[in-house]
Amino acid sequence: MNVSRGRPDEVPAYYPGCSLDGLGKAYEVSCQWVLRRLELSMDRIVDYNCCGATEVKNLSQDVSVVLPARNLALARGMGRHQVVAACNGCVYSLTRANDAVSEEATRGRINEHLSAGGSPAYDGEASVQHVLEFIHNRAGPDRVRARVRRPLAGLTVAPYYGCLYSRPKRYTGVGLTPGTDDPEHPAFLDALLRACGATVLSDYSAKTICCGGGHALSDLDVSVAFSASVMNEAKRAGADLVATICPLGQINIENNLDRIRQTYGPEAILPVAYFTQLMAVALGASLREARLKDNFSRPDLFLKGKGFP
Amino acid sequence: MPIVEPSLVEVQRTEQLELDGIDVSGDWNTFLRSRVHTDLDLKVLEWVRSQPQGETISRCWQCGTCTAGCCMHTDFGLEEFNPRYFIYLAQIGYEAELRKYAETIWRCVSCNKCVERCPKGVKVEEVVHSIGSYLEVTGMAKESPADRFDRAYTENLLRRGVLDEAALFQTYERLEGRKTPGRELFRLGLSMLLSGRLHTGPFAHRTRGWGKMRPVLTRLMTEDLRRRRETARGPPPGSGP
Repeated sequence: MNVSRGRPDEVPAYYPGCSLDGLGKAYEVSCQWVLRRLELSMDRIVDYNCCGATEVKNLSQDVSVVLPARNLALARGMGRHQVVAACNGCVYSLTRANDAVSEEATRGRINEHLSAGGSPAYDGEASVQHVLEFIHNRAGPDRVRARVRRPLAGLTVAPYYGCLYSRPKRYTGVGLTPGTDDPEHPAFLDALLRACGATVLSDYSAKTICCGGGHALSDLDVSVAFSASVMNEAKRAGADLVATICPLGQINIENNLDRIRQTYGPEAILPVAYFTQLMAVALGASLREARLKDNFSRPDLFLKGKGFP
Repeated sequence: MPIVEPSLVEVQRTEQLELDGIDVSGDWNTFLRSRVHTDLDLKVLEWVRSQPQGETISRCWQCGTCTAGCCMHTDFGLEEFNPRYFIYLAQIGYEAELRKYAETIWRCVSCNKCVERCPKGVKVEEVVHSIGSYLEVTGMAKESPADRFDRAYTENLLRRGVLDEAALFQTYERLEGRKTPGRELFRLGLSMLLSGRLHTGPFAHRTRGWGKMRPVLTRLMTEDLRRRRETARGPPPGSGP
């Protein structure tokens, strides 16, 4: 179970995961930009490994716990009690590992595997949060509002949280860990985007649906249907843009653009951007600095049309 | 009550039958044939419960909250995807019915809404995956696309410690026998490579010190998969000699 630990002002360890160092580069770059402007910092875990996402656990329980536990052990080696990850899949597997090692017998066995593999042992004392929760709790809407240079006025944004952001509570510790968002009705992204001046569709019905991400390649029908409904529902509610908080969601939706266009017509497509890209623009970054051109749905063209430099 | 299923009824006409001095002649033996299942085998339940991912199955009290919110059942509209029913069938050991869902059960996308909402703390998503694994390791279900993807994913990450997404894509598409549209992909890949978004082949990331971890995890993985297969095919765990 994820329980909050460490001083409230501790500089957390940052677990980038494979996505932020790869396909989600725009997320990483814009995230760092936003953190700098908000005077927040995180220390990167070097030599991290893949967390195993939702795939490895279907094959082996122990391997699916050792993989994230190694990263948490590295964070503890840096003296940190808090770990921040930007990907919903990473948050899921890191908190799931915490739940598993809260049982002493399991922790002992996992630590044997870790030490056989040359990794430090993990004491189970690192709590994990999503970067959205980190920004919301440490800077908050007030600091964001005070630093905004180019308000996203006139933009209607659909906040898409996807699954595994703060659910399941059994792993993320909602109710036990202060500063965790509501799994059924998350609101942190709404608050931050509103602080940036955007009109936020709080009742957007696809807020927490799945994008089909884990089955992006293995079950195409499902992943196209789900990513299309993220856009369709946003469109129906009158959104100009969809804001995402997970590289899996972002990449899956954009990877399906052609198929969505074929099935639902070109008007079904909305620009999709990481929430940090939109925040960076509001906080004064240029479209290029926020790497909006990286996104296949080209939010850069849309924002340029709205007069953002 | 009228009998609505004549095929299930055997009528035997008895003339002049007397029992303890009472005349009971007439239509006799008007009974329904037994429809009690005798082919139930709790091995599936025992097996799922013995897996760390499936141990919470016994907590389920069949309320159906999981299915009511299940995105495959409701949003995608695949009605036969019914986690409550899968758990029920496993709980009563009705393998013959369960195997009808061999082509369905793997389609869970792991959104975890069911785990979030379960009032009894059943890890529904992991339990459903365990039931699917049972069908697969006993040969009742063919290896599914999702199983193949899980395997390709795990092998890929165990190689260097971090994922090589492009290689994973290629390996998996090959496993499915699909042809990747070469030129288009190459152009896309090149632009992503140049903008620092793709690290593959010689540019792939690797975790320092992974050389020591890889054999440990590979061995663990092999042992786990072997244990799964053996326990599912042999006598149920804990049944003794």
